[in-house]
Formats: sequence, C-alpha cells, structure tokens
Amino acid sequence: MTRPFLDIKGIRKTFGPVVAVEDVTLEVAKGEFLTFLGPSGSGKSTTLYAIAGFQPPTSGEVLLDGRSLLAVPSHKRNIGMVFQRYTLFPHLSVAENVAFPLRVRRRKDAEIDAKVARMLALVRLDGMGGRMPGQLSGGQQQRVALARALAYDPPVLLMDEPLSALDKKLREKIQLEIRRIHKETGVTILYVTHDQEEALRLSDRIAVFNRGRIEQTGTGRDLYENPATGFVAGFIGSSNFLPAEMERGEGDAAAVRLPDGTRLTGVRMHQRLGAGESCALMVRPERLRLETASTGGVPVRIDDVTYLGDSLHFLVQAPWRQQIGVRMPIASGIDAGLTSGTEARLVWPASAGHLFAGAS
Amino acid sequence: MLLTFERMGALRWILVLWGVLVAAFLLLPVLFIVALSFGSSRWLQFPPPAWTLRWYQELLADPRWLDSILTSFKVAALVTVASVLLGLLAAFGLVRGRFPGREVLRAFFLTPMILPVVVLAVALYALFLRVGLNGTLAGFVIGHLILALPFSIISITGALEGFDKAIEDAAVVCGAHPFEAKLRVTLPALKLGLFGAAVFSFLVSWDEVIVAIFMASPTLQTFPVRIWGVLRQDLSPVIAAASSLLVLLTLVLMAAAALVRRGSRR
Ligand SMILES: Nc1ncnc2c1ncn2[C@@H]1O[C@H](COP(=O)(O)OP(=O)(O)OP(=O)(O)O)[C@@H](O)[C@H]1O
Ligand SMILES: [Mg+2]
Repeated sequence: MTRPFLDIKGIRKTFGPVVAVEDVTLEVAKGEFLTFLGPSGSGKSTTLYAIAGFQPPTSGEVLLDGRSLLAVPSHKRNIGMVFQRYTLFPHLSVAENVAFPLRVRRRKDAEIDAKVARMLALVRLDGMGGRMPGQLSGGQQQRVALARALAYDPPVLLMDEPLSALDKKLREKIQLEIRRIHKETGVTILYVTHDQEEALRLSDRIAVFNRGRIEQTGTGRDLYENPATGFVAGFIGSSNFLPAEMERGEGDAAAVRLPDGTRLTGVRMHQRLGAGESCALMVRPERLRLETASTGGVPVRIDDVTYLGDSLHFLVQAPWRQQIGVRMPIASGIDAGLTSGTEARLVWPASAGHLFAGAS
Repeated sequence: MLLTFERMGALRWILVLWGVLVAAFLLLPVLFIVALSFGSSRWLQFPPPAWTLRWYQELLADPRWLDSILTSFKVAALVTVASVLLGLLAAFGLVRGRFPGREVLRAFFLTPMILPVVVLAVALYALFLRVGLNGTLAGFVIGHLILALPFSIISITGALEGFDKAIEDAAVVCGAHPFEAKLRVTLPALKLGLFGAAVFSFLVSWDEVIVAIFMASPTLQTFPVRIWGVLRQDLSPVIAAASSLLVLLTLVLMAAAALVRRGSRR
C-alpha cells in the first residue's frame, strides 16, 4: 500500500478536564477532498487546529508526506487555511491581502503581482484588487480568503465552515466554485461543516465526527447506504429507528421481531448482536411503502400527508405508538385511498433495514 | 416609533436651548480667559477696552516661559511613547493572557485614575527624595506616566478586545512569524486605540499640575507649573495668554483625534 499523503495518527486533545478530541485517526490521499461532518462540539475544529498548529494535540502524530508536522511551528507548515469568521486583514486591500503570504516569503514584486492576478482570477474577483475588505460582501470576502490561502501553493488546504455565515443561495454558488477550484488546483482539502448536504455535494470522502471520534469514513454513498453505526445512519439523511428484538443472526443477516410481533428476516446487521438483545432497526423514509391492498408488513394509521411536489410525505403511527416518516415518489403511483386518518400497511424490502445496537 | 430629534416638534427647540446653555456654562471660563489674553488692560478689565497681541509677545520673549513650554513638550512626548508601549504590552497580557488574578491586575492598573492625585504626588515626592529624582526630567516622566498609563491601557485593551484573534492566526498560517503577524496585522488594526492612547497620554501630561508642582525645581518646571507660580506672584494678562496657549494645543490634539477617527471610518 502506498504511503498516505496526510496521515493523522491517534490525535487526542484535552482542555483541562474537557476532552475535545478523544482519538482521531485518518489517512488522506493527495488531491483528495475530505470533509469533517459532525454535530457542534464534536471536535472537528480542534482536529483542524492541531493540523494548522494553533492548538498542539495532547498526544498523537500528524505526518505530511511522511514527515512530522507537529515539530514544525505553525508559520512554517506551509498550510493554507480559510476560517469560519472573516479574517481578511482590514487595513490591506484585496490584492495586498492575497499578496501577504508572498510578501512574508520575500518573493519578488513582479512574481507577486502575477500570482495575485492569477489568484483573483481563480476566485473570479478580477479587477477587485483595489477594494478594501470592508467594501466586500461576505461571499466575496471568503473568496478573497480562499485566494490568499492558495497563493503560496500549499500542499494542504484547511477550511473550517467557511460558508456558514452566508445565506443558502450564495452558499450553493460558492460550493460550486470551491469544487471547480479543487479540480483546477488539485490541492488536498480538509473541509469542516455540519451541513450534510454541503458535505455530500463537495467531498470525495466524508469523516463523520461524534464526541471527539470519527464514527465512519467513506464516500457519501457508503455512509448513506452502509452506515457503520446508528449515529451515522441518523446523521446522514433522514431515518426512522424502530425498536426491535434480536432473534438470531447468521453472518451479517439477522432475524428480528418488532414490538407488535411482526417478524423480519434477512435484515442487515452492522454490529455484533446477541439473541434476545434489544436493538434499533433503521429504515430510510424513501425505502418504505404504504399499501392498502396488502396483508403483510406492519399495520399503521396515517396521521398526516404533505405534498412535496415530486413526492408525498406521510407521518404514520405504528401499533407501538411511534411516529414513522414515509416518503413515496408520486411517479411510482400512489393509491388514492392513502389519506389522513385511514389505515394502511407499511412494507419495505428486507435489505432496506439496518440493524444497530441499542433501541432508540 | 422611536422618539427621534426630528419628530419632537417644539420640544426640540427647548432641547437645543438647553444644550447651548450647558455648553456655555462649560466654555465661558475658557472664552473669558482667551478674551482677556487679547485685551489691552493690564488689570484684566472686562470687557477689554481695546485689543492687543502684547501679552503674547511678552510671553514668547521671556526665555523662562519658553523653557517651561519646551520642558512640558519633552515630558509629554516621552510620557506618550512610554505610555503607549507599556499600555500595548499590558493590553496583550490582560486580554490574551490566561492566568489567575488577571481581573485583579486589570483593576489594579486603573487605580491611578481613582487615587487622589495629591496622595500620589506626596508619595512620589517622598520616594524620589531618596533616589534623587525630584527636579529631574525622569522624575516628571515617571510621575506623569503613572497617571497616563490607565488611559493607555483602557484605550488599547478596548481595541484589542474588539480585534478577532483569528485574523492574527490567519497571518500566522500565511507564513508570518507570530511576531511579524502582530507587527504587520494586529498593530495596524489597533491603530485607533493606539492613537487614542497617545492623545490621552499626551494631554494627561501636558496639563497636569499637581504632581508637576511636587517634582519641579527652580530650574526645571513645566508650563502649567510656571503658570501657577507666576499667578501666585502677580496677576498679569501674560498668564491669560499662557493659559490660552495651553488650551489651544489641547484643542488641536482633540481635533486631530476626531479627524483621524472620521478618516478611518470611511
Ligand atoms: N479553547 C478551549 N478550551 C476549552 N474547551 C474547548 C476549547 N476549544 C474547544 N473546546 C471544547 O472542545 C470540544 C470540541 O470543540 P470543537 O471546536 O473542536 O468542536 P466543533 O466540532 O468544531 O464544533 P462546531 O461545529 O460548533 O464548530 C467542545 O466541547 C468545546 O467546548
Ligand atoms: Mg468548529
């Protein structure tokens, strides 16, 4: 196996009694776009800051191209970073902001001018070089920050929720720009967000953070279709967790029983579970179907129907008084009898169910 | 709806009148002195029978007055430099530092503002008597520095608290040594605070009289001390001229400060 470009080994960071990062291990390939996705306080920023050098980890190691980064002071790491807050130097023009990293590297003026022009073109801000940061919109400021972070061709670019202060429209526009810039420059990017849509749209791979650990790393598709833990399943996409009791397991297929006695076989099991253990059966709303003619599945009552253009969203009540979300594409032909207050049968293919430890 | 000035109708003229009265109350003594300094009467008659520049000529022809003005300038300039430098270092410690007793230290740094100046002056006098600093330039500078520092610390601490440390961090990842980042990014961002600290420090020293009286010797005294000394011997319009000059420089500095503030807001 080839050596990973960026190798994060067992990073741990504590602030007094607070454990910000428990244990983070991650290998990143050159040119990869990897996103840290996770809830607030899960240690994403802290991990990023350990790589940038602002907050040295309590223990662990970070290797870039085989060499330890931790021994190198922050300003010599040659890493690019874009922050969540606006961090342009307020007294310098846009062009001078982008030129700053080159000036501290004592590059020649002609070289600096050429590079600044190229960088501003890259982020589509040509001709804005003379403006002051205070005269720019939030989106423009973050693009200048991106140009500044890339001006010295860093091998790794860190981005800590750079778009979280922007509105949704602008965010989506700049996401596309970031993708384009990633393709054009081939820089390795570590990107932090707690917006799963953003993570899915941008990344080659996503590392899902929870309580200072990475729960799972994989492509968006991996995480969505084969979540390793209940947390990942719940965090990526929408999901229903049905309480279930384990009957027996063979390989990674299991037979379980729902509270109303319904028995299911061939359910995919993601964690080792023993017979009799209570567990959670996760099913995505779009894998569920409501039928009136069928006699199988779980009998439910429809509480609410919402029209969403391309699909209908149902809230149904299971016999064990749990509300379950169901999403059915209109194109698939929906029985007209499925209205609020009626009874129906809830069915899904066995392979759509994922079994995790612990009833939710 | 908010009660704005434009909406108040007749009430606003009452407010305007009130504002004018308060301003007049504050400014009248100063205007009175300035008028007297241009008046021809040796006995400070008001209103002046005629106008003259004679008292200013006398003032500027007397080397003892000029010396005292020069001394005041030297002291104030040295105090300004020292106060801004120390204030800057103190502000970094107080804002960025994480150590027990930080709040206590911060309050302690401001005590010269509430301590009666006479108490400080007597204490300094007694101390300087032992180390031989009374009547020296260093004595004046140290005395005034103690009074000026709280203003510097307040002004610069405020500016530093309003400055996002992430901007300095950004400069560091960009490749600037932490010291260079402070010099090239943080300091320019603090310029209003630094300028405010400089103006206040200069003014505190420029018109300070109590500590200066204790520090003064027959050969070395500041401008306000000389005004005080001459005043006690005889009441001459030259004093009014000297006082007017004192006010003029203060005004110039305040105006400069206002201009800088307006300029940087644009
Ligand atoms: N300087 C610090 N001192 C004390 N605790 C800290 C410090 N920085 C972070 N923490 C704690 O460490 C944990 C992880 O913080 P971190 O900022 O890495 O989370 P995050 O995943 O980036 O969250 P967010 O999405 O809100 O930015 C949090 O519980 C936080 O309170
Ligand atoms: Mg964060």
